[in-house]
Parts: sequence; C-alpha cells; structure tokens
Amino acid sequence: MKIALVCSQGGHLNEMLFLMEAFKKHDIFFITYKNPTTRALKYKKYVVENIGTNIRMMIKAFFQVFKILIKEKPDLIVSTGSEIAIPPYILARFMRIKTIYIESWCRIKTKSGTGRILYYFSNVFLVQWPELVKLYGKKAKYRGAVI
Amino acid sequence: MIFVTVGTHYLGFERLIKEMDKIASRINEKIICQIGSTKYEPKNMNYFTFVEDEEKIAELYKKARIIISHAGAGSIFAALNYQKPLVVVPRLKKYNEHIDDHQLELAEVLEKEGKAVVIYDINNLENAIKKAKKLNYKRNKGNNNLIKFLKKYIKRLEDENLHGNINSISS
Repeated sequence: MKIALVCSQGGHLNEMLFLMEAFKKHDIFFITYKNPTTRALKYKKYVVENIGTNIRMMIKAFFQVFKILIKEKPDLIVSTGSEIAIPPYILARFMRIKTIYIESWCRIKTKSGTGRILYYFSNVFLVQWPELVKLYGKKAKYRGAVI
Repeated sequence: MIFVTVGTHYLGFERLIKEMDKIASRINEKIICQIGSTKYEPKNMNYFTFVEDEEKIAELYKKARIIISHAGAGSIFAALNYQKPLVVVPRLKKYNEHIDDHQLELAEVLEKEGKAVVIYDINNLENAIKKAKKLNYKRNKGNNNLIKFLKKYIKRLEDENLHGNINSISS
C-alpha cells in the first residue's frame, strides 16, 4: 500500500511522526513544507513552498502536488494539517485516492480553516477531541488522539 | 537548565522571549531558548532560531528541568512526552503572535487536567518558574486508539483493494 503523508512543520509534523507506527510497514512518502525542521526528515519527501493564506501560492501548490500524485499514485493520503493538505485532498477526489484527514490535537473548541474545507473532501474525517465532533457534524469521528 | 521553545510558526513571540531575557538576568540557572521567528535578540541567555535535527531538540527536552513553551501542539506534545514540568504561555492574536486565539483552547485544557501551569499575564512567569514541579502524568504509548484505528482502516483498504471493491469502504 502506498501512502502519502501530508503535513506542515511543527506540531502537525510531530503528530504525524507519532502516528508513524500505523504507516511504517507501508510504502510511504511525505508532502511537506520547505523548512529547517522538515529538511532533516528521514523519509522520502517532496517539499512545497509555504502557502499560508496566499492564493497565488495555493494555485502553484495545486500544480506541484498534481505532478507528485501522478508520479507516485498513492492508494491513500493521510494528513494532520494544515493548509498544505487542501490541494492533495481536492485532487484526490478526482483521482479516486482515499483520504483520511486528522484535525490537529490543538483544535478543541474551534474548527481550523483547513478542516472546514476538507470536511467535504475527505473520506474519513477525524477529530482528536470529543467536543469537536458536534461542531463539525455527522461525518466527524473521534477515534482517540495522539496523546 | 530551563528550555524555552516557541515553535516553528512564521510569527515571532517577543512577549515571551523578552520576559525570559529579563528573568535570565535575575536568576542563576542556565536558560536555552528556541526563539523561532522572533526578531528580538536575547542578551542574557543562550538562544537559537530553529534546528534541523529533531534529535537535538529531543536532547534539550530530556536535559531540561522545566520546559517553557508557547501553547503549540508540537512543543506541548513533546514536553508531555518527556514528562517534564511545563509552563505554557499561549500566543495571542492581539499581540500579533498568531493568526487567531486557538492556543488558548489547548492551554485551558492542560490547565484543567493539571498537566501544565498556564500564564495569561506575562508578569507571573517568574513566579511560575520558581514553583514549577513535576506533574503527575504518565503516557500510554503502546495502546494508542488512534494508531489502532488507522492500522485497521489501512488493513481493510488493503483487503478491499485486493478484492477490487474499493467503493464499499466506509469509516
């Protein structure tokens, strides 16, 4: 099984690394931001430039990620956020790739900007606090947390 | 040694670093600061911006007597992992330290569960450092439900791929 792990640096990456036990038997690669803390990442990886709230960078990332997905053809994409997950999840919908989105552990009572969008694009939508299930709706599931 | 960390966010956290620098001039303990995107340059303590090697950061967490951190998931997650006394200062939008106030959410939960001391007024930081002690927290790594769920889902996806029946998977 080929799995794409998509996350930005910092907490999002830490959470993903914690979950690595679930993926390590598989053929995995990262899509992450170009950043000092992701440079030392010891897994196969593709880096994109920081998107933040910049629309132009978002469009650029769409093209970049499209090429990566065509080349790698993953069976599944897993993300712990943030906005770097928006291009691959929207593209995955059209490329028939399964997706699991895990809202960051730091979101307890409010939705993240990325979560608001990817709620509609992911096959499985997980939150890490029971309180957040109600806020998102039926599709959101609580199946435990990183800690 | 006190380890201070403000994470990898593109906004700095001057309020915390400036206050730590003041405290550093008054106390007799080594302080190491990861200042991230903060523009202020500390004068009384060792500091660096980011490190590439996660193991170096892990070493600092291990050696520290106390961790002082912004309320970011990554740093707090690590501090709890090493079961160190934790003092948390949430980044606030009004000081341009983050894009919103979501750090308050995690800070409040940690405070409620007794996993960290939370500082809302930066003037209380020095007192909190003096009083910080090891909190009673045990981590349960071998039995994580989220990892179990992911493993199960992937296994099912694999099985269904084998049988060419991808569409019938649900959560």
